[in-house]
Formats: sequence, structure tokens, C-alpha cells
Amino acid sequence: MQYVLAIIGPEGDWQDVSPEEMKASMDAWSAFEQELADAGALVAGEGLQESATGRTVHFAEGGDTTVTDGPFAETKEQLGGFYLLECADIDAAVEWARKVPVVAASAIEVRPVMDYTQFGFERPKRTAEVSS
Amino acid sequence: MRYMLTIIGEEGGMEDATPEDMQAVMAAWEEYTEALKDAGAFVAGEGLQPSATATTVRGYEGDERPVTDGPFAESKEQVGGFYLIEAGDLDEALEWAKKIPARGGGVEVRPVLDYDAFAAGSASAAEASN
Repeated sequence: MQYVLAIIGPEGDWQDVSPEEMKASMDAWSAFEQELADAGALVAGEGLQESATGRTVHFAEGGDTTVTDGPFAETKEQLGGFYLLECADIDAAVEWARKVPVVAASAIEVRPVMDYTQFGFERPKRTAEVSS
Repeated sequence: MRYMLTIIGEEGGMEDATPEDMQAVMAAWEEYTEALKDAGAFVAGEGLQPSATATTVRGYEGDERPVTDGPFAESKEQVGGFYLIEAGDLDEALEWAKKIPARGGGVEVRPVLDYDAFAAGSASAAEASN
């Protein structure tokens, strides 16, 4: 079963972070991802640029679209990245989530991917490649 | 450059759908995913189970990491799925986002981190990696 770990939190001000702190943080993330890879659990994962760099396509009824700058919701906490993991069950996924090296104010939302068989469909072939 | 397309909207709405309706919805999503693959743009993508199935792990409080049932925020709109795509630029990623067969809500398009520039902390590194 696959699970998405959505990493959500305040957007950091990395300008005030020393190069040493930055390296320590990057090393912690690299070590975590290596552990995921060694366990055969890592399917995909990316960190995202801050929400101000994004745009949002809004869908009206009838199919019309409008585009706005920034994220879908201007909340203090924003999606900062995600992992897509292969795990035996949600407990295993939550154990991985507990190891994500986020700062104190952040959180990780763990969600199982859609089970299409409940609607009578086979699971679509999705992920094409493992993230580099 | 990789872009994350996060699909956000109200949950539910398919409870009264007929098998034919479900088939049509599934076919539209499959057609979209196939178009991404044919264009060489597809990296990853999944639909997610409803937010009620979520478990949220909070950041450290001392040595503890509180775990709660449910999503991070109990908002009306929730993430329903995502695509990770390869696109030439943000405008190209937006064109893909507009084609998503969503029936309301929105799709947030975000570039992934440029780790080289992030680690170096300089604009020159960003230019060198592009």
C-alpha cells in the first residue's frame, strides 16, 4: 500500500540561517531519505519552493478556469514537500512520519492513496519512476 | 524543471454516482494521466483516500511527537490528489493544470526546490544549475 506524507508548516526564513545550520538540516534530510531508500520504501518525494512562487488554477462549474498568483489558501502553514512511500500499513507510514526531520512548528499528514478496487476498478499504473 | 500539481477541493459528491458516472470520471482521469505520460511529463501521481483516513504527526514538543487522527487542518477543502510533472516552465505546468478533469476546487502549481541553489544560497548557483 502506498501512503503520501504531506509536510506542512510555516515557511522558513532561511536568510538568517548560518551555512553550518543549513548543512546540518540538509544532512538530516539526506540521511532520512537514504534510510527510506535502503528500506525500499521511497517511491517519490520532493521539496517545494515557497508558496509565493506558485499559482493556482480554479475550476468553476461548467469547466471554466481562472488563474491566481500564490497558493490555493493564504494560510500561515503551507505544503513544503511530500513523500510517496510504500508501506505495509498506516502504522508503518506513521513511524516513517515520526522520523521526518521537520522543525517543531511543522507537521506531517499521512494519507493512504485511493483504493480504486472499492469502486470496481483495477488500480491504475501510476508512478513511472523513482524520484532522483 | 519539476512541478507539483496539488489537487484541492471539497470531498465527497460521488456517493450517489451511478457505475456509469464513476466509469466516466475514471476514464477522464486516466485519459489525462495517459496524455501526461505520452508527453513525457508524468513523474508521479496519486489520488488520495478521504481526509478522514489521515493521521497527522506534529513537530516535536520536547521529546514527544503528538499523533492525531484526521488531517492537519479540518478545512472544507482538502487535498484529493497530486501529480508531479516535468515541464519547461511554470506556464507549461499551468497549461497541464488547466486540463485536469477537476469538477470544482483548484489545482495549486508549485516548482520543486532547486537544491543546488538552496545549499549554496546564491543566485549564481541557481543559474549554473539551469
